[in-house]
Order: sequence, then C-alpha cells, then structure tokens
Amino acid sequence: MSTNNPTARERKLSLALLRKFFSSMALRILGLAVVDAFAIMLLYLLLRDGVWPIAAILVLTTLVVNVINFSDRLIPLRWMSPALAIIMLMVLYPILFTVYTAFTNYGDGHLLTKIQTIRRISQDTYLPEEGNVYHWVGYRSPEGDFLLWLIDEDGQAFLAQPDKSLEQVSPEDSQIGQLDNAGFPLNVEGYTRMELLDVIPILDSQLAPLEFGDPPLTIRIKSIREAAQLKPRFEYDDEQDLFIENITGTVYFADESQGQFTSSEGVSLNPGYQVEIGWRNFDRLFNSPALSGPFIQIFIWTIVFAFLSVFTTFALGLFLALVYNDPTFPFRKLIRAFLIMPYAIPGIIGILIWRGMLNPHFGVLTTNLVNIVGWTPGWFTHPIWSKVGVLIVNLWLGFPYMMLVCSGALQTIPSEIYEAATVDGAGVWQRFRKITLPLLFVNVGPLLISSFTMNFNNFAVIYAYNEGRPPIPGTITPAGYTDILISYTYRIAFESGRGSDYGYANAITIVIFLIVASITLVQYRAMGTWEEISENV
Amino acid sequence: MNKKYFWFASLLIIFSLVLAACGGQVETPTEEVVEAPPEPTEVVVEEEPEVEEEPELVELVVWADELRAPIINDLGNQFANEYGVSLTIQEMGFGDIRDQLAVAGPAGEGPDILIGAHDWLGQLVSNGLVSPLDFGEKESEFLDAAITAFVYEGQLYGLPYATENIAFFCNKDLVDTAPTTWDEVTALAVDLEAASDGEVTAWIIQTIDPYHHFPLTNSFGGYVFGLTDEGYDPDDVGLDSSGAIAAGEWLQDMVEAGHLSADVDYDVLHTYFTTGKAACIGTGPWALSMIRDSGVNYFISPFPAGDTGAGRPFLGVQGFMVSAFSENQLLAQTVLDEIFATEEFMQAMYDVDPRPSAYLEVRDSTDDADIAAFAAAGATGYPMPAIPAMGSVWEAWGNATSLIITQQLDAADALADAATQVRTLIAE
Amino acid sequence: MSERELISQKLFDIGSWSPKRRNQLKLGAQIVITVIFVTFALFPIIWIFSASLNPTSSMANQQLIPPNASIANYQELLNNPLHPFFHWMWNSVKVSSITAILSVFVTAFTAYSFSRFRFRGRRSLLLTILLIQIFPNLLTMVALFLFLRQIGEYFPLMGLDSHGGLIMVYLGTQMGINIWLMKGYFDSIPREIDESAAVDGATHWQSFWMLIFPLVRPVLAVVGVLVFVSTFNEFVLASILLRSTEQFTLMVGLYLFVTQNFAQQWGIFAAGAIIGAIPTVVLYLILQDQIVSGLTSGAVKG
Repeated sequence: MSTNNPTARERKLSLALLRKFFSSMALRILGLAVVDAFAIMLLYLLLRDGVWPIAAILVLTTLVVNVINFSDRLIPLRWMSPALAIIMLMVLYPILFTVYTAFTNYGDGHLLTKIQTIRRISQDTYLPEEGNVYHWVGYRSPEGDFLLWLIDEDGQAFLAQPDKSLEQVSPEDSQIGQLDNAGFPLNVEGYTRMELLDVIPILDSQLAPLEFGDPPLTIRIKSIREAAQLKPRFEYDDEQDLFIENITGTVYFADESQGQFTSSEGVSLNPGYQVEIGWRNFDRLFNSPALSGPFIQIFIWTIVFAFLSVFTTFALGLFLALVYNDPTFPFRKLIRAFLIMPYAIPGIIGILIWRGMLNPHFGVLTTNLVNIVGWTPGWFTHPIWSKVGVLIVNLWLGFPYMMLVCSGALQTIPSEIYEAATVDGAGVWQRFRKITLPLLFVNVGPLLISSFTMNFNNFAVIYAYNEGRPPIPGTITPAGYTDILISYTYRIAFESGRGSDYGYANAITIVIFLIVASITLVQYRAMGTWEEISENV
Repeated sequence: MNKKYFWFASLLIIFSLVLAACGGQVETPTEEVVEAPPEPTEVVVEEEPEVEEEPELVELVVWADELRAPIINDLGNQFANEYGVSLTIQEMGFGDIRDQLAVAGPAGEGPDILIGAHDWLGQLVSNGLVSPLDFGEKESEFLDAAITAFVYEGQLYGLPYATENIAFFCNKDLVDTAPTTWDEVTALAVDLEAASDGEVTAWIIQTIDPYHHFPLTNSFGGYVFGLTDEGYDPDDVGLDSSGAIAAGEWLQDMVEAGHLSADVDYDVLHTYFTTGKAACIGTGPWALSMIRDSGVNYFISPFPAGDTGAGRPFLGVQGFMVSAFSENQLLAQTVLDEIFATEEFMQAMYDVDPRPSAYLEVRDSTDDADIAAFAAAGATGYPMPAIPAMGSVWEAWGNATSLIITQQLDAADALADAATQVRTLIAE
Repeated sequence: MSERELISQKLFDIGSWSPKRRNQLKLGAQIVITVIFVTFALFPIIWIFSASLNPTSSMANQQLIPPNASIANYQELLNNPLHPFFHWMWNSVKVSSITAILSVFVTAFTAYSFSRFRFRGRRSLLLTILLIQIFPNLLTMVALFLFLRQIGEYFPLMGLDSHGGLIMVYLGTQMGINIWLMKGYFDSIPREIDESAAVDGATHWQSFWMLIFPLVRPVLAVVGVLVFVSTFNEFVLASILLRSTEQFTLMVGLYLFVTQNFAQQWGIFAAGAIIGAIPTVVLYLILQDQIVSGLTSGAVKG
C-alpha cells in the first residue's frame, strides 16, 4: 500500500480532505445555519400571527438542536438531533396540547374560543316587525362605488347609497334612465348596472358589508334579490362583556366558569366557548359513576388482555421465527411471505372477516364446528368465549410483527454460542431456555413492553370486534365483557348528554397514561432490563 | 472556537436574508382566511367545458360523502356555472363530515356548503358551526316534516333534499298480506315454522340496532325522548316507559317461543330475507338494490301495530347546510336557494340516486313504487332526535335489546337499566 | 425395566435415532407446522379475496366461491374516474417509502449514539422516549391538525393536505419503539470493532458508515418493513390531514366506501385491501434476505 505514486498520493490527499470536510465542523455549521434561518423566519411568522404554543415548541426545539450541535460535550446527542427534533415537534407537542386541554372544557358546546364565539353570536340577524324588505338591483361606478335601486313591498322605489338616507327619486330625474319591466332603471348616470354574473363574485366581499339608509334600522343586502332592514339578534357590549338580545331585551352575561353567555334565568346562548376549568375534569372522573361500576372487572380484563396478547403473539412469532430460521427448509422464503400476510392487510378488514367467519348463523368456522362437534362457542355473546375470540383475532393480527422482529433479533445471537453449548451437551430445550431467550429478551424486551401498553389501550380491536359487548347486565353506565379500560371510560366522555367532551376525554387519557406508565416501570424493574442496560454500559 | 461562531453567524445572516426575501411572497393572512385550498383542481373529473368569455368562476367548497359527491360535482356544477360559481367537492366519509367540521370549520379550513343529516343539528348548532337559513315561501315546496326536521331551537339550518326511513318488507311467496299487528306476526311465525319444520320464520330483527327496533317500541306507546312543541326533551327519557316495556315483553315472548334467534346483525338480517328464511323484516332504501337483485318477491307495507297504533319509523332527513365559518355566507345561501332548491336540481338528484325526495313535486311524482312506499311509510315517521343527548342513547338501548334477546334479563329489567344508564350519562 | 419400558425408551430417545430418521422426523414436523400455521395465516385472507369477488358486498353467508363470483368490485374500484385507485396506491407507496427510508436513517443515527456513547442521563433519555411513545394518541389528532394547518400557511408543502406534512407526522409516530429495537441490535455488535477502528484513526462518523452500518442490515431491513407497513395501513391521521381526492393515500380512499351507516361496500374495500397488500408482500420478499442474513464471523475478526 505504498503511496509512492504521486497521483495516487494526491488523490488520497484530496479524498482525505473531502472526508474531513464532510465530517467537519464546516458542514455542521452550514446545516445549522440553514435550519436556524428557517426556524427564525417561521418564528417571526408565528409570532406575528400570535400562535404562541407552536412558537414556543419551535423555539425550544431549535434551542435544543443548536446547543447540542455546538457544545463539544454533547457530541453523542448530535447524532440524535434529527430524532429529538422530530419527537419534540410531532410527539411531545401534541402530548402537551392534550395535557393542556384536559384542564379545559374543550368539547361539544365549547369548541370555539371566546372571540370566535362572540363573533358567531353577533353574526345572526333577523327581520324586526317594523323592518322592510326590498327587491334590489345594483349599480357600480368606475371608481368602485355602489348604488342600489330598491323597490319595497308596496311598489315604492328608492335610491340608496351606502351610509346615506334613502332618496325618493322622481321618474323624470335626468340621472335615472328608463325603467325596465320590473321597475328598475336600465342605467344610472355615472354607474353601470350590475348583472347577476357581476354581482356573484363580490356578493360577500363587497356588497354584504354595505349599509344603506338611516340607523338604527339600516338596510343590508340579504340575497341576490333581496335587501332588508335586518338587525343583529344579539348585540355585544364590549365593556360589560355581555350580550343583549334585541327582540326581548334579555341580557346574557359571560360566565367564565362555564364558558357560556347565560341569562339570569339560566338560559344559555349557543355556542359556548372554551375556558380553563382547572381540575374539574379530574374531579369529575374520580367521582364518576363509572368508577363504581364494574371498573375492577374491566381493569383486570384489560391487563389480562394485554398480557395474553403479547404472550401469544410473541410465543407464536418466536416459534415460527425459529422454525424457519433453518436455511435448509424448502420454500422458506415463500412460506414466510405467506405468514406475513395478516400484517399486510389493514386490520379493520381482518377483524371484519373474522367476525364473518365466526358469525353464529353463517360463519364458515362456526357452521363447520357445529357440523363436526355439534356445538360452537358464543363468540360474541358469551362472557368468556367473546374474550377468547378477541384474543384469537388479536393473535392473528399480531404474530407476523413478532415473527418479523424475532427473525431479525435471532441474527444477533452468534452461532458459535450454540455450537459451544451443543459441545457441552446441552439439549434443544436447554439451549433455548438458557441462551436464546435471555439474549433475545435484551433485544426484544422493550418491544414486548411497548406491545403490552399498545394492547392495554387497543381501542380499535376491541371496538371493531364487538364494540366491547356482550353487555354486562345491571351496570350504571354501559359496559361490556370485552370492554377494556379505555373503551369503557371514553364512553362517558363521548356519550355524555352534551355530546363529546374532549377535555374530559383528555383527562381520562392522562390518568390512563399514568397507570400504564407505572405498569411499564414496574415491568422494567421486574424484567431486570434495568440491569441489562447497565451491563451493556 | 471564535472562528466557528463567526462563520456560523455570518451564514445565518445570509440565509435569513435570503429566506426573508423569498418569504416576502408569503401573504399576511387576513381575518378572511382562504376559503379553499390553493389547488384549483381537487376533483379528478373531466375538465369543465371551456367557457370562452367568462372571468374565473367563484369557488365554493362543498363537503360530500362518496355517495353524493359525484352527483353534486356533475349536476351541481352544471347548474352553478351559469351563476358564475364553481363547486369544488371534497370527499370524505359521511360521519367524518360532521366530526371534521368541528375542527376544520373554526380553523378556517372548513367548507362553504356541506351535506349532512338533520340529527347532527344538536351538535352543530351548539358548536355554532352552521348558519341559519331562510328560503321564504319556497319552504312550502318541501315536505313539512322535512323542513321541520331541519329546524332547531326555532331556526331553520338546512335545505332538505331527501328523506330516509325504514319500511316493512314481506315476501309474497311466504305470506300474502302483511301482518297488521304484532300478534299476527307471532301467529304467522307459528304457522310458518310448523309448515317448514323450523326452517322458515315470520320475522327477524337485529339483536342490537335500536334504530330498527323503534317502530316496534312506539307501536306500544314507547318512546325515546318526550316530544314537546319545542322539540325533544332530554329530561323525559322513555326507554323504561310502560309502552317501551310492553314492546320489550313482546320481543321477549317471541324469543322464548323460539321465533327469534339472537346474534342477528345487518348481514344476517338481509340474508335471511333474501334466502326466504324470514317472511318479513324492516329495512331501508339502502338495501333495495340488494333485495331486488336477489329476486325475492317482496312488497312493502306499513309496520304492524301494537297496543297504540301502527309502528312509526325514525325519519332521517338529509340536506345541505352552510358552514358558519364560510367567508361566502350570502353566496352559499344563494346557491342553496337559487340552484339547489329547484325542481330541476331535486329531480336530477333523484334520478341519479333514488330516494324519497324532500321536494314535494319530485316526491309525489316518483314512478318507482318502492320509493313511493318508503315515502308513505315515512310520512308518519318521527324525526330522529337531534338533541345532543341522543348520543347517550344508542349504546344503552342496544345493550338492552341484546340482553332481552339473549335472555339474560327480563324486558322490564333490561329497559330499566338502559334508562338509568342514559340518565346517568346525560347527567354526567 | 420391562420390555415395554425398554421399547418406549428407545422409541422416544430421539438422540439415539439414526440421523436419517431424525431428519425425516424433522421434515415431517416442519411440514405439519407449516400447514397448520400457513392455513391459520392465509385462511382469512382467502376469505377477504372471496369477499372481493362477491358483488353483493355482504360479509355474512359467504361461501368460499361466491355464487355470482365476478370481478365487478375490482372493476368498480379501478375504473371510477372520481376514485383514482392507482394514484392513491402510488401516493401510499410514495409516502410510506419516504417515511421508511428517513426513519431508518434517523433511527440508526440515534440508536448508534445510544449504543456506543455513554453520557449522563442516557438511560433516562431512553426511558423518556419510550414513555412518550406510550402516551395514548387517540386525541392528538386535533393538535396535529392545528399544527399542520398553521405551518401550512407558510409552507404549503408541509401543511395540511400535503404529503410533506403527513410524512413529518408519520416520522413522529415511528420514532420511539424503533429506536429501542435498533439500539438492541446495535448493542449486539461487539465493541471491539469500534475500538479497533478508533485505533486505526477513524472518526465516529467513519466507523459508523463503513463498519457498523453494513453489519446492522438485518435490523435496518426490519425497521424499514415495519415503518412501511404501519404507515401504509394507517388511516386515522391520514384521513384528517388529507383533504383533496388526489392527495389521498390508499386507505383513506378505501374507507370512503365503508363510512355509510348502512350499505357499506365491503366488497370493494376487500378488493382494494387485496391489491393494497401487494406492495408490502413484495417489499418483504425483497428484504427477507437482509433480515435473516446472519453475522458472519469474519466481521468480528476483520
């Protein structure tokens, strides 16, 4: 490997320089500058539009990325900066949003902000008793001024200009051209008559805001043919923060604790608005009738369901990975492709097909079982068998994932260890228990835990299988035998008398998360993964 | 070290300036947020025929489900173009329209017009998502019940275009005239099962689907929410009323006599009917093509009667609504008023997707006997309650019927539980 | 010992069988296992296929070969100009591939760092990442919708109704667990490799690219497949963040057929699902070799 050859030496030098550049500071600085420039610009736009939460998370993320990449002590984190940035923006931010919402009453009836609510309530108009309705035709001047010719219900004609009183004009007036069949002038001096296609593009943008005639009963354009003396149904008083209903005079005060405008008789206006309500959602949860119901039963089933789902999918997945790990197996690639197929199909149709196959009346599996054994379990109606059914479906859905992961993980165990063990006289089962499993667990342990937590909250499978049914008789809120914690508790939030209460649902989410996180931590300790990690250190 | 920072700072400044220059093109979003996504061609459809002299058409965004999107796209644009309006359809699942409006509307990403069902009004109005409409005298051109269905708290919020309800289907090969009372249904069941050795029965219903159970319930005087002049009253839950329990007990008797099996779902229901194993079922226009294709010799009749009268189905009305967050309020209402609320459009909608029209002219002139029969059955229908409290009902009620049919609870107990659950949820 | 006991002892003492007998037993067992589990895996899929051939779209009363078997569902699916099936498929493949490739790289960097470096707070950071991923995300859709909407006002390519925005969101969902998965695999690569490379004067960057990266091919392939499949079959986020028909991914488009309360068209959905499974299976077939390529002992010594 001599570099006596001058050209070779040059080439090597320039390659080395190039390599140095790429792994050097220069590239990092360049990259950071680009990223930061974008971030600054984005920040400016966000602040200009007043979107604080997103601006805050952006600032935080950018700071983190910059600090990491500049500080020499944080070199390890540099490798992680893309991942950390993504996690902060796309995962952490929604979680923070969720947590914040749990302290509000965001949900049906309180979806809008207060400003949006005020605007919305002020939007509605009505025709008061003394109000007139007119037919109109519009005219536009080259400078962009508008003019209306109004004819009221009695046939009286008026000329209307924005913010001016109505004028009654005599037909002989030179400015007004000949009247058409409907009584509208064909032209007006200084203005061109607007046809339908002229009106349409500017109907909302320019014509709707115009007011004609004398206050307080000004005339507004109502449609392409009609204008009327409309009044807003509710008028907002800025200083006192209340609405006055024009027809009845009722006053609606802003109730900040509920997020609604309410009258003294307790009548509230639609819509309400979001307000922060502190711990009320959590209070509601811990005093909820649902907790006194079959809560323990459902909690236990949730844990059992999650555990058995993981256990069965892992067992089967590992088994198949081992069996087909053998390179001498014929057609093994094809067979494994077949085995992966349940994973390639969208879960929902997989579950539906299983529902069809297990259908008590026509399902292929049930009818064949009846033919062979004379009986079929109540897959959807029996408290125990429905649980078995949903576990079988979950097994079918989940084992390919485990098989895939185990296939990869098995490669990390060097074959020498097996050879050495065989030489030492270890049998198949011993090799499996003492070598394969422990080494695999190090790799795959966190996945099992994460699969447990995923199944703990596997709303989708439970709901698609049978919506949590069969129903448990005599409960105070609807509950089913296959319900898991999350489907049971979300029901209260989404089927409340008001509709869906997202704030409440988010509070439930947080509590469930805390439960799951505790279980996870316990599992870590129990599995000794903690120690494994420290051994690997 | 210093050199590093120097380079960094200068590069940063350079890039920021570059971006600021390019970013000058980013408009200041005004209060009026853009009403439609920038892409002008959302819908993959043949290009509209070139209109030579016209300036660009004003764009309105319409949300529709996959059933109606193509119709509105073709028909709607046909009519709308004459008015200088172009309708851009965004397709999404029917239920998604309501759910996504809640987030997209206030965020400025919502539609101008949307298709929806009248029972969404409780939720939509309490969230301020739809605008009140006024069609003046045109309203009399529509079925009264349809207009009333879209009135919520005294205001009209939608333009109805079709009604839907279930009706009572019977198989002529198994029974000549439809049973007129539920007792006759029981008797028919006995006869048919005896004649066919248990293979064929008179009537079947889903184990869980309160929507289909409703005619049975109210034919005995039961109800869901009490109906007052102001609409449905969430404080008056009727699931455990004596009428409802009477209906439940009839159901229980049928099950105990072996005339009704459990585990019946939507598919099983229709399979039984189309294969001649059940003489009568209650189902809606959505199943019509399937039933026709199967060749069953069907006919449609009113629902059998219980103690208080013939069963009356839930009436669902579909129509067009205007989003309160649309920047084109007047234009959207104009489209509804001038373009959609016309005989031509209503007829064209019917031609492409036959359902009982809410527009009287079209409704009365339909030559499809089945559609007419559905319309007749729906004429006495109860509009589905639109109040938000209705959402608390479905699960509890479904559980009750399930418990009755699987014989785990008596009708009285099951319905009492259901009513308690509904009241608990409402009070929550 | 009685004669019977002797015989049974001999029979079941597999260790004493001739290799040929043992191989036959092994083959027999393998065949039985294969038949059982391939049937278990494929049987429902065959039914899905059968449902796709059923023009009445009813999921009950199915026979293996539907009475009026026809490709009507496929025709309806593929030929409807308002529902550009192949375009949707292409969108899905595009989004999922890009997400998979980006995921693989970002996760690999991160996993390498966790595996090779030791720094304070390393374990805590790892656990935090996992815990963050555990947070039930049923309701984070609203937050993401509003986030993308805001960003989309400045950068339309990354906002709502864009594939860029969707990819960003998907990347977020794929981070946590894949980092753990990769890290575990990285941990199994002996440290000696790094050490000898360092002795030779290589930087971290160089030893990563030239030595470690090739050695971890199996887990890269696994993560690639996992990310591709999860994002390909994902529907909830996509249906909220994508609005125009042309931008739809395959799942969003297929769901349009089944959202009515009644009369859902499961036959068409099934047809779409069958066709939609093809990219995944193809990808898996391609990458299978990578997934099961073992460590060659040469790498340790080299």
